[in-house]
Amino acid sequence: MEPEISNQSLLFLIVFVFIPLSLSYFYQLGLSKNILWSTIRGTIQLFAIGYLLTYLFDLRAAIGIPLMITIMITVATFHARLKGKELPHVFWYILFGLIVIEVGVLSMWLLFDMVEFTPSEVIPMSGMVIGNSMVAMGLALERMKNEFKENNGRLLAALSLGAKPKTASKLIVQKTLNAALIPNVDQLKTIGLVQLPGMMTGLILGGVEPAMAIKYQLVISLSIFSSVSLSAMFITLAMYRYFFNEQDQLLETEEAIRNQS
Amino acid sequence: MFRFEDVTYGPLKNISFSISKKEKVMLFGPSGAGKSTLLYLFNRLHSPDNGTILLGGRDIVEQEVTDLRKRVGLVLQEPNLFPGTVLDNIKYGPALFGEWQDEHAEQLLRYVQLPSSYLDRDVEQLSGGEKQRVSLARTLANSPEVLLLDEPTSALDYRTAEEIEECLESLINEHGLTMIMVTHNLNQARRLGQRGLFLVNGELVEDGNIPEMLDKPDTKELARFIEE
Repeated sequence: MEPEISNQSLLFLIVFVFIPLSLSYFYQLGLSKNILWSTIRGTIQLFAIGYLLTYLFDLRAAIGIPLMITIMITVATFHARLKGKELPHVFWYILFGLIVIEVGVLSMWLLFDMVEFTPSEVIPMSGMVIGNSMVAMGLALERMKNEFKENNGRLLAALSLGAKPKTASKLIVQKTLNAALIPNVDQLKTIGLVQLPGMMTGLILGGVEPAMAIKYQLVISLSIFSSVSLSAMFITLAMYRYFFNEQDQLLETEEAIRNQS
Repeated sequence: MFRFEDVTYGPLKNISFSISKKEKVMLFGPSGAGKSTLLYLFNRLHSPDNGTILLGGRDIVEQEVTDLRKRVGLVLQEPNLFPGTVLDNIKYGPALFGEWQDEHAEQLLRYVQLPSSYLDRDVEQLSGGEKQRVSLARTLANSPEVLLLDEPTSALDYRTAEEIEECLESLINEHGLTMIMVTHNLNQARRLGQRGLFLVNGELVEDGNIPEMLDKPDTKELARFIEE
């Protein structure tokens, strides 16, 4: 049976939007505008991407795949940089990180014959890898900034004892990586027990045998796990040094950090 | 030992003074005067925008920053201990320079009047006063020649503050250290210091012998500060 949701049925989804909207209204959360905007934006984005994918799937793989991956990486870079826009060169570091991770993961998939080089397989799976890496980089940047603020005294203590920035930041780097990786470790531990992962659900709904769906899910889950780990590690190790200047002094204001070349 | 020549940085304007070896200098003044900012210039946690700071006749910029910080130790207002045990904390500095020896641990705790049984304690289990003692031991572990103290007792209750003061006094005398301490407490300045530097709005307003300064202030700013 082909899964089919009619446009009329889709309209009833408005009920699901109405619930958080009512909660926001009654408890004066001030989120109504945000909820409405994100719902409308999300819907438009999904339909647009649906049409774009239909078009890309009809193109030759050698054109459609690089084109879509370039768009995804560019959008992800712009989005993730917002979490650390005061850090010098953050855009280029994120862009570089995402490109290396995507190329690495894609090469593994193709080299070991896990995925076929067709737009319908590579684009959605790459989207998951790039999207999760983008979130991991954003989280790591945000967490790192907070850790530097909260541990200002400890960092000064370490520097004043003669530590170099790399040694002084060790605790912060550890905490940042921990925070970025733990959700993924937890997710991997409970995969299939608490919720059926999205890709597997989609394949099963699309009529694929559960055993095959599991194989695809394993490929994507482990790919995401490793790319998230690498993204968080890369961006943390690349950016922590911008919180210090060349004289091994801690920069305590956003302005001082931004003014570094 | 230290010589500041026309130093300008942040709120500090054209500060000049010299400090001799083994001198006990207290920096005091109203909030926002630039006391802590001035203190952090001694070990290059800040660098002046203008002017020169000399240590032993050499510009501190020409000296290796990690060596300078080892020679010029700093104790902050909050202990800011690193997660782990007391031992982990006190060996931190010497371990960076490959100079740690386990037998030093008990001696360092003795200096700050803590029993050696504390070495394996998690720092989270210590009281505020004990944490500050460990912080002091951690700085002393590097065998500094100069001890910078940024209001080390201001976050402690009166009794604990007094105990830390006593501990500091005996340490500084015993080891012949040069002490430069920020304080907002004039009684503490009188008890621990010999010389006072009084700062207002980033300017060095008075520099002199503490009992004389506090008993007969030369400026109306210091007179007002003592009254307040």
